[in-house]
Amino acid sequence: MFKRLSPKQSEALAGYIFILPMYIGFLIFVLWPIIEAGRISLMDFDLLRRSEYTGLDNYTSLLQDVRLWTVYKNTIVFTFFAVTFNTSIGLVLAMMLNQRLPSLIRNFYRSIFFFPILVAHAFVAVIWQFLYQQDTGIINYYLGFLHVEPIPWLSNIQWAMAAVIIMDVWKNSGFAMLVFLAGLQNIPEHYYEAARIDGANERNIFFRITMPLLSPTIFFILVIFTIGAFQVFDSIIVLTNGGPGDATRSIVLYIYEVAFKIFNMGYASALAMTLFAIILVLTVMQFIASRRWVHYE
Amino acid sequence: MSQQPVMPSSQKHTTRARRKRFSWSDVLSFALLTVAAILVAMPLLWMFSTSLQPMSEGYRLPPKWLPTDFRIENYAYPFQSNVPFGQLFVNNVKITLSVTIGQLFLCSLAGFAFARLRFPLREPLFILLLASLMIPIQVTVIPIFFIMRKFGLIDTHWAIILPSLVNAFGVFLMRQFFKALPQDLFDAATVDGASYARTFLQIALPLARAPLATLTVLTFNATWNSFFLPIIFLSSWDKMTLTQGIAFLSGAIGPAGATGNPSIRMAAVTMALIPVLLVFLLAQRWIIQAFAQTGIKG
Repeated sequence: MFKRLSPKQSEALAGYIFILPMYIGFLIFVLWPIIEAGRISLMDFDLLRRSEYTGLDNYTSLLQDVRLWTVYKNTIVFTFFAVTFNTSIGLVLAMMLNQRLPSLIRNFYRSIFFFPILVAHAFVAVIWQFLYQQDTGIINYYLGFLHVEPIPWLSNIQWAMAAVIIMDVWKNSGFAMLVFLAGLQNIPEHYYEAARIDGANERNIFFRITMPLLSPTIFFILVIFTIGAFQVFDSIIVLTNGGPGDATRSIVLYIYEVAFKIFNMGYASALAMTLFAIILVLTVMQFIASRRWVHYE
Repeated sequence: MSQQPVMPSSQKHTTRARRKRFSWSDVLSFALLTVAAILVAMPLLWMFSTSLQPMSEGYRLPPKWLPTDFRIENYAYPFQSNVPFGQLFVNNVKITLSVTIGQLFLCSLAGFAFARLRFPLREPLFILLLASLMIPIQVTVIPIFFIMRKFGLIDTHWAIILPSLVNAFGVFLMRQFFKALPQDLFDAATVDGASYARTFLQIALPLARAPLATLTVLTFNATWNSFFLPIIFLSSWDKMTLTQGIAFLSGAIGPAGATGNPSIRMAAVTMALIPVLLVFLLAQRWIIQAFAQTGIKG
């Protein structure tokens, strides 16, 4: 005794059925957990004891947590250098690849720069652990030719973060290169032709045409690399496990340890909320800027 | 030659390709590119050559870039250890295929509905879904852990597969594609009385090869390499993924007496890279496009 649906109703019904599987997943694994994480962050909550609401206690503890400042300082240092090097090296590589080159050579080099993108951070770190060894690693061996004393890459507080950053640049600058190359190739050729007819020199062309037209891409790369860098985890846990001491411990590694090593879920959720706030701000910034930018299209 | 001196600048564009003579800046950037390419290739070359060296040569300096004494048997050793390396591989294949196939289906289904079917609250629902792009997994993982515990899914592959199926970007990608298709295509189907399911399966989906390929590549790579969820949810050795096993158990990989030897570890990593390498070689152009596209579309 089903009432026959009007065409409009049956279209709507089909729509809801089609989005249903994805939406159920979204509700269970994204929407509910983010709300629940906020709730847990207000509790004294671990897996063994009973849980109870403690108001903003976890958040006031954040302010007194010396390690939190350390891990955020580490994360910001990592983010600053990784984003700067990845973006600038990616841009230089892209501009050189966009130079007059036989396409066979261009594609060959592009593939080489691209390949590390496909290799898991965890594998990269396993390989680089050997490369970074003070006495047996090939990095110190080749630096020896430049009369550099063997560097204690992974055992020294000063050097460990540099080791993490260098490895990250090896892994990720190829992605920036790829996006910049696509951006450069999207700039219409007639802009350059017109500029040359008007007698613009290469420097003017670079600053007046290439840079302005590439700026949305550069901004985009800066933001997504910053978001990614704030979440750095895989490479650090494998390469240094946050050490020596806390020298390379990132915020996500800290959250992971508080949540799943000492099972203080309430405090870990409050820590996670700080990261969420930062990423939210960065994403909204990216969203607003990309709407404003007239150079798109 | 032009009267003006050629700027020793690194800027160019393809029109310059029509000029006949190489400038110094071309030579310079070719040289720099070559140096950069060598630096980028070295860690992977070291991995590969070490994996073929005799076990005693793993720490040899200077490194032997071209092995003369090939030890293919290094590739058999990971399978002869306490670490169930073959099982890790099977686990990775199982998880990656489940997530990839599941996502292709769910994302195209939802993307099609958001693009071509009219229903109340369509746009708000889509925007809410997209908002999940700014929620990092590190924030939601604690509640997800409680869900998995409640349903007894800790230390099962479901704990990895189920949360990984949700991909708002994938829905976005498919929606953009389906939105761009001409309406005539679907009008014709409606006239023929095709159901929405048939329109989706027989008209929309076959046309969507390009975005489906993009999504396949991105999801395959992300899932094959995933690390965060596995280390939280999987703890038995025979349930672990390759990333997890190689990162945390590599000291135990290898036959008794030679566990953790660099040659054996590098053989294990090389094998773990083979599927990704194969996909790369088979669909190189598509893959590069897929990644560049995510950059531009973001």
